[in-house]
Amino acid sequence: MYKYSEKDRQFLVERVDQFEKQLNRYLSGDLDEDKFRSLRLRNGLYMELHAHMLRVAIPYGILSSNQLRALADVADKYDRGFGHFTTRQNIQFNWIQLPEIANLLRDLTDVGLHAIQTSGKATRNITADPLSGLTEGEIEDARPYCELIRRWFNLHPEFSWLPGKFKIAINGAKLDETALRIHDLGLRLIKNKKKELGFKVYVGGGLGAAAMIAAETASFIPSEDILSYLESVMRIYNLRGRRDHQKKLRIKFLVRELGASEFSRLVNEDWHQTKDDQELKLNLKELQSLKEDFALPIQSINLNGFQDDIDFNYSIWKKNNVRNHKVSGYSIVNISLTKLGAAPGDTTSEQMRILANLADQFSSGEIRTTKRQTIVFPFVRKDKVFNLWESLEKYDLASPHQGTMAQIVACPGRDYCSLAKAVSIPIATRVQERFNDMKKLLDIGDLKINISGCENSCAHHHIADIGLLGMQKNGEEYYQITLAGETLHETNIGKKLGPSISGEGIVDSIETIVNVYIDNRKINENFTDVFKRIGIEAFKEKVYG
Amino acid sequence: MDEIKNPSYLINKDYESINLVTFDEWIEDSEKLSKLGVGIILKPQDDIYSIQEQLELIELIALDFSNFDDGRGYTQAYLLSKRWKYVGEIIAINAHLDQLQFMIRSGITSYQLLESYKGSIDEDYSHGFSLCYQAAANNNGLHLQY
Repeated sequence: MYKYSEKDRQFLVERVDQFEKQLNRYLSGDLDEDKFRSLRLRNGLYMELHAHMLRVAIPYGILSSNQLRALADVADKYDRGFGHFTTRQNIQFNWIQLPEIANLLRDLTDVGLHAIQTSGKATRNITADPLSGLTEGEIEDARPYCELIRRWFNLHPEFSWLPGKFKIAINGAKLDETALRIHDLGLRLIKNKKKELGFKVYVGGGLGAAAMIAAETASFIPSEDILSYLESVMRIYNLRGRRDHQKKLRIKFLVRELGASEFSRLVNEDWHQTKDDQELKLNLKELQSLKEDFALPIQSINLNGFQDDIDFNYSIWKKNNVRNHKVSGYSIVNISLTKLGAAPGDTTSEQMRILANLADQFSSGEIRTTKRQTIVFPFVRKDKVFNLWESLEKYDLASPHQGTMAQIVACPGRDYCSLAKAVSIPIATRVQERFNDMKKLLDIGDLKINISGCENSCAHHHIADIGLLGMQKNGEEYYQITLAGETLHETNIGKKLGPSISGEGIVDSIETIVNVYIDNRKINENFTDVFKRIGIEAFKEKVYG
Repeated sequence: MDEIKNPSYLINKDYESINLVTFDEWIEDSEKLSKLGVGIILKPQDDIYSIQEQLELIELIALDFSNFDDGRGYTQAYLLSKRWKYVGEIIAINAHLDQLQFMIRSGITSYQLLESYKGSIDEDYSHGFSLCYQAAANNNGLHLQY
């Protein structure tokens, strides 16, 4: 995996030193609230209901066991012993005290972790498929490109004060695990007829109150030209993006107002002035060196004649949690942290240390985090999967929920977040309680439920099979239901079912929706297939009828 | 105008005597003003492309950075400095301490901090980082990591 050089580490130290000075100026009254807000957000720091929340980047979802241990130490030393894995390859700590922040960030720099641009109006953490490099049929491993692009926009002098936040995702696989087209900018790695590598570019997607699917602005940008093209997109956005309306800051509003073709004409006009600038060409030497950094730490092994254990509970867990690896003799193991009553994505420091030790023992010391808030062990020998499961069982981490509807994605909600209108985690818990029967869960299959506590849509409810959006009505918590959102094969925003439903009645409604699905599905039909075939009315009738 | 700083590594020129006009004033009567030899104050919302052909007539350009979160000035500085090779002074006026290095790297040649930063140590912010990850109008003195 990618390792920070001494120079990179020096940069992180300089960033912390600068932020500490800014913090001290704020605490002594020399820096006003508004400016400090803008500066602290760029360092991942939010003011929440009860304390400060710090968002730390996990680039491309990859952590070494040592980094995970460092995060566990942070959880113990500065938080209340846990962290929250988010849907965008970050981890959040919810109980941070302001004066301790610089020491915390310094602890992270020791293991090459940081919180730079995890928030604020700049380029955010770039996300990639968490299974990058692991599965068959990939066009190209996206991570070296992600890293070059991330660096390029790290404290970029021209684009650090954009109109709004700017989220980039890059996908090199055939299926889209990254949800490219709900990002401000999505890059799909493709090959042209001459087998040259390049990017298809999508701009202007986003969730939130006005969910939009990104428009294609370029069908093929040669890989070496991608930095200049991205700069042109950001330059047009920086100059023309709306700054006058708090709810129209994102690039999606600019693309909508100009129209996608006019927007891409402006981008091209700018790009033609810079595309031949040698300084802006992708550095192929760096790219090669990054490819070596990201090379897999394993080689294929022959396990002919290996018979796996047939323990019943193990088999159920394995069916839901283990996937084929492109390297023969290896498996990809998904670990669900979802437990009844616990917040999705929440992980205790003790669990982090256990996972770090198990990763050393079973997965070449590497773990990955996913947008469904699960943990992946990317390099497990097929003949060790049973041993891993036994260890996970011992530590109560062998939840077979992965790939079932009990693997709910939820934001922190009103329990923790000052923006939220309604709770998320208690709803997830109640759904899990209602469906607390593994036989039933296996029968229902892979059905995705995502719960966001407000329109900021941190839990990506628009792209779930069943999405819930929390809101307030006369001081009561209500939830709007959307159905059949998806991104894997094509991108569709979930359709609103009808009037929002009270917190009290929401679990009944979910059960009704699940039943409509089960009663109508044919063999191998997933939720979206059924929804497309029978239409929204069939669901409406049962839920509101 | 308050104190304007020209760090030694930035271009220096005698411009204190130059009269400044607003962008709107310039657009209204650029022919007359260009004969007088004036500089222009550009606000973030002013359309910089409309003066692209007239740069030779403008003695200096002052970019107003008073709004901390409005980043259009950085693109204006980049276009003037790097793309259009403007030879006059590009001054950041009403500048904020914490953004100095971003401005310098985007192509400004001198700056005037807002009054409220008087007495602060500019060096911490104009030279805060020793390394950069991207090409820019001015990367002087930085270790280039790209």
